[in-house]
Amino acid sequence: MSGPIRRSASVRRLVAIGVTLIALLSPFLWLLQMSFKSNDLILQFPPPLIFTPTLQNYASLWQGAFPASFVNSLMSASFSTALALILGVPAAYALSRWAGHGKHALSFAILVTRMAPPIAFTIPFFLFYRWIGLLDTVTGLVLVYTSFNLPLVIWMMQPFFETVPSSLEEAALVDGASTRIVFLEIVLPMVTPGIAATAILCFLYAWNDFFFALILTRSNARTAPVAVVNFMNYEGWEWGKIAAGGSLVMAPVLIFSLAVRRYLVSGLTAGAVKG
Amino acid sequence: MSRKGLVERRRFNRLALAPSLIVLFVIAGLPAIYLVVTSLTPFQLVNPGSSTDFNAPLRNYRLLPDDPRFVNSLWVQAKLSFWGVLFQVLLGMLLALLLHTQSRVVEFARTFFLIPMVLPPIVVAIIWKLIYTPDISPLYYAAGLLNIAMPSLTSSVDFALTAIIIADTWEWLPFTFLMVLAALQTIPDEFSEAALVDGANRLQIFFYITLPFITPILVISGMFRLIDSVKAFPLVFLLTGGGPGSVTEVTNYYAYLLAFDFNEIGYSSAVTIVMLLLVVAVSLGVVWMGRRREAMA
Repeated sequence: MSGPIRRSASVRRLVAIGVTLIALLSPFLWLLQMSFKSNDLILQFPPPLIFTPTLQNYASLWQGAFPASFVNSLMSASFSTALALILGVPAAYALSRWAGHGKHALSFAILVTRMAPPIAFTIPFFLFYRWIGLLDTVTGLVLVYTSFNLPLVIWMMQPFFETVPSSLEEAALVDGASTRIVFLEIVLPMVTPGIAATAILCFLYAWNDFFFALILTRSNARTAPVAVVNFMNYEGWEWGKIAAGGSLVMAPVLIFSLAVRRYLVSGLTAGAVKG
Repeated sequence: MSRKGLVERRRFNRLALAPSLIVLFVIAGLPAIYLVVTSLTPFQLVNPGSSTDFNAPLRNYRLLPDDPRFVNSLWVQAKLSFWGVLFQVLLGMLLALLLHTQSRVVEFARTFFLIPMVLPPIVVAIIWKLIYTPDISPLYYAAGLLNIAMPSLTSSVDFALTAIIIADTWEWLPFTFLMVLAALQTIPDEFSEAALVDGANRLQIFFYITLPFITPILVISGMFRLIDSVKAFPLVFLLTGGGPGSVTEVTNYYAYLLAFDFNEIGYSSAVTIVMLLLVVAVSLGVVWMGRRREAMA
């Protein structure tokens, strides 16, 4: 946008933006600062704004079952991302180059699987898993997460493939390359940034899941979001641990979101259409 | 492309699509079909054999209109969705107008406004649990300083749903903000320039130029939020557990309780299917509006 009217930010506007940002983020910052306070300090009012931060909460998390749940989260999110990419990237390419009938109907069918509320999937998955012994396993989680990541890959990757000029592909085909070679050696390298962004978003969606993990896991495959909530039930209300655990659960999300800032918008709005 | 090339391309397409479609059918299609099947049975986990009892297939659906908890849950969901979407669209628009400006600093700051939306939903729920828990909440402390008697928000019949709407709005306001901001950036400067030359003031520019331009995106982002508002599960789960009574018991949560607390799998499936049909109806509305908007553009 480079019209003659340059909307440069006035000081008044900047102040308003700053105040709004602080107001919007203060609930989040409150949790973060709490994770560095000892339990005595957390319960102390007025809340001391300047205090010596302690890593005591994080250390106590390290000693419990929390690291295992963190590993479960990492594994189920990464494996489901990998699976969704391996299946979805070629499918997205085929759809983007498919001129035939039924493209829209098929795309919409894929989209519907993304719009359904999670509860619609949990009941059947729970019963199937109970039957074939996949309850409380990382494999079970990977499969469920793929059910919403695969449609995301298929939908997010199509626009990236559409930006690849078809003249490039045609030239290679004329030179005698097969469609498979064109896809693997010409098209795929050109959409790597898109694949990276899609991968991160898939990872985040799986990582953020609470509902499926709550119902489909018990102890072996319990993920970090569920483990944090358990600090509220069994062991009383350990606010220090809850704050530290919550901060750890959101750490990868914040780091990755910054990394894919450019694609965040398309990914999250695509996610909105689909899930 | 040569004829041989076309044939090869078609074969490649089929090979590339087949695995995805098969997997999607197995992990999404089959569960959907199975959900329909169980909704036709009085399936209870404690009662083996009930999963294949098709003697009265529509029994669950007949029970629904007379189930006060179900009817109440639809009503609660409607209230949550209506107020949540309204606040998110309005506040998102205001925020977008505030941040629609050319400045490096502001462009950098925009990412931070997206934080609530990218946080794991359960962390959002924890954050608000913290704020709504009197002993440790900075909110209650501030109210105490100002001598305001704050009721316990999440356990009060009058405020519990509002507490969830506030948290939901905080979480999803960045989404509508993002959509409106994108729309604002497509408005050509010439329009407001011409209006300025003609002597229009800022309010007039907003109502006669900006607002008509962003109305479609306001409607569409509102519809997206409406579809997704059934997913407020972590907030309900952690903040109120559906209570007090069933003041905050949305349909999603009721279906969850039915299946995994009361073991009424069959009945819960029927509740879920009715909810699913409502979501699909709204989704089709969104797609239809999107098409109409494309046609207009």
